[in-house]
Amino acid sequence: MAVLIDKETKVITQGITGKSGTFHTEQGIAYGSTYVGGVTPKKGGQKHLGLPVFNTVLEAKETTGCTASLVFVPAPFAAKAILEAEEAGIELIVCITEGIPVRDMLEVSHVMKKSKSRLIGPNCPGIITPDGCKIGIMPGYIHKRGKVGIVSRSGTLTYEAVWQTTEEGLGQSTCVGIGGDPLNGTNFIDMLELFEKDPETEGILMIGEIGGTAEEEAAEWIAAHGTKPIVSLIAGITAPPGRRMGHAGAIISGGKGTAEEKIKALEKAGVVVAKTPSVIGETLKKVMHA
Amino acid sequence: MNTHEYQAKTLLQKYGIPTPPFEVVSSREEAEAALLKLGIEEGVVKVQVHAGGRGKAGGVKLGKILPLVDEMLGMRIQNQQTGAKGVIANQLLITPAVDIAKEYYLAAVIDRERAEPILMASKEGGMEIEENPDRIVKVSFDEVEKLVALMEWDDQGREIAQNLAKAFLECDGSLLEINPLVLTKEGELLAVDAKFSIDDNALFRHPDIAKWYDPTQSTEGEVMAKEYDLAYIGLEGEIGCLVNGAGLAMATMDIIHFYGGKPANFLDVGGGATKEQVAHGFKIILSDPSVKSIFVNIFGGIMDCGVLAEGIVAASKEGVHVPLVVRMEGTNVEIGKKILKESGLDIITADTMADGAIKAVKWQS
Repeated sequence: MAVLIDKETKVITQGITGKSGTFHTEQGIAYGSTYVGGVTPKKGGQKHLGLPVFNTVLEAKETTGCTASLVFVPAPFAAKAILEAEEAGIELIVCITEGIPVRDMLEVSHVMKKSKSRLIGPNCPGIITPDGCKIGIMPGYIHKRGKVGIVSRSGTLTYEAVWQTTEEGLGQSTCVGIGGDPLNGTNFIDMLELFEKDPETEGILMIGEIGGTAEEEAAEWIAAHGTKPIVSLIAGITAPPGRRMGHAGAIISGGKGTAEEKIKALEKAGVVVAKTPSVIGETLKKVMHA
Repeated sequence: MNTHEYQAKTLLQKYGIPTPPFEVVSSREEAEAALLKLGIEEGVVKVQVHAGGRGKAGGVKLGKILPLVDEMLGMRIQNQQTGAKGVIANQLLITPAVDIAKEYYLAAVIDRERAEPILMASKEGGMEIEENPDRIVKVSFDEVEKLVALMEWDDQGREIAQNLAKAFLECDGSLLEINPLVLTKEGELLAVDAKFSIDDNALFRHPDIAKWYDPTQSTEGEVMAKEYDLAYIGLEGEIGCLVNGAGLAMATMDIIHFYGGKPANFLDVGGGATKEQVAHGFKIILSDPSVKSIFVNIFGGIMDCGVLAEGIVAASKEGVHVPLVVRMEGTNVEIGKKILKESGLDIITADTMADGAIKAVKWQS
């Protein structure tokens, strides 16, 4: 079954006529996902990649019956695009855009708290259910349908982990990049809950990094509710304090958000933390007795 | 982006938050003129650098101003925040000393967990505040009254808290801090020191603040990285890292450390890096004289390894004088490996992150 998306999921792309929107929609279609249209204001009525283009998300939804949206709108306008999708009642909004101002995300977070829609990202690689549906920018071919659910704050580090689980023969049920920004939609706990309920997911891989306390909160949840084997990796053990490490959210500030604290909390909750990023796959295999 | 104290104070004044009078100088002549304007000969001289802990590092002094200006102009402030090289004080802030009755701490930040901006305050402001985090009260922006009551402030304090919140939001702050907020013996609240950092992603909305960018407060590598739009942070070690993606870049530093090496930098050339960005990345790494080997760790996603290999070859031909270890995985990895091999360049290849890290540690020149 996997979680959140499958082959039947009808997807639109907001910003479909842009360079990235075009490329990744094409890639998603080539992967076998069901893309049914796109949105670019003032370009409604045109066809792009053989798909209908609409002026608004609402029009796209009413015409195509889409339930998911891939957002490629440039940072200054991305928050508005997310809010438009939410208002149109899109169930799953996946925002890839990097560099959205925090103030804009404050408003988005406020709306999403009370919304029925789910936001993944921003500043993330997206979500993929191997052999089913790809809504994002990850290279499809490194994935293999299987039994590991992956949730991560990173992009290429996730690919690294995916590749290792593929090489180990474990495969993935669904992989979700929740993004590297300080304020995001879906968090670790949301995904852990879904993976916990999903019969196809037999093991979970959680990739965190310095900054914030999302990993510590996840550790508390795991201690109380987790039954499946979980392996984690925390990036940034060697990161200096007070510096933003590429991701807007990856910063140790006022002595808070260090890798040590996160690793300690996770280990206390029974999570096995991989010794190095090179042994994620083999650690998971051992823990899952697979 | 960080700003200087005087810039933060200028912003506070714009929002009606009182500060002591001050002048900013970058020469003795300017200092002489500033003293006439301020009508003082003695007072406080403060280095204007992008680093906290200035007081402890000798960057804030009280006394006869002109000799202090001579002494402090051009001094370097070095502490944990600045790295070994420290940051240079090209500008000094001159201000009269204030008669302090009490010191408070007041700041606005984004609370990530609550996903809202908050005000933080303490009755014990000053240099030690960071060591006493439990004495800080946190309230949301609509709870100013609660804060005012807890701090036992009057209208003055209320107005300052409200204005600070307003300034923080309107200017897309990531931190706006007054420490100390001084209650003078005359009963006036004054922002005696201030710090303002703005959300880099919102700079496009604030062209006036964007002009405050001061490249003299960053390392040469960091200035170059900004120009090329790369994420780079110089560190104390010897192994240069060139990686695509922030998470993988941190993980690469970590694995170098695990195998006994020290990373010289964090460098993310971007998840979808181009040939040019790779070449720029090399330039930045090589501008650091302590680099003894380079570890390139690329997981090709959308950008394929072939293109990246071409970037590496192009950069190497321009002269990489230290051992170069390359680990590539992902899209078109075979083509990438072939390009490296056929280039005839002296490149050490690695199969895994661990293999690459071990080799980069071993081959330090």
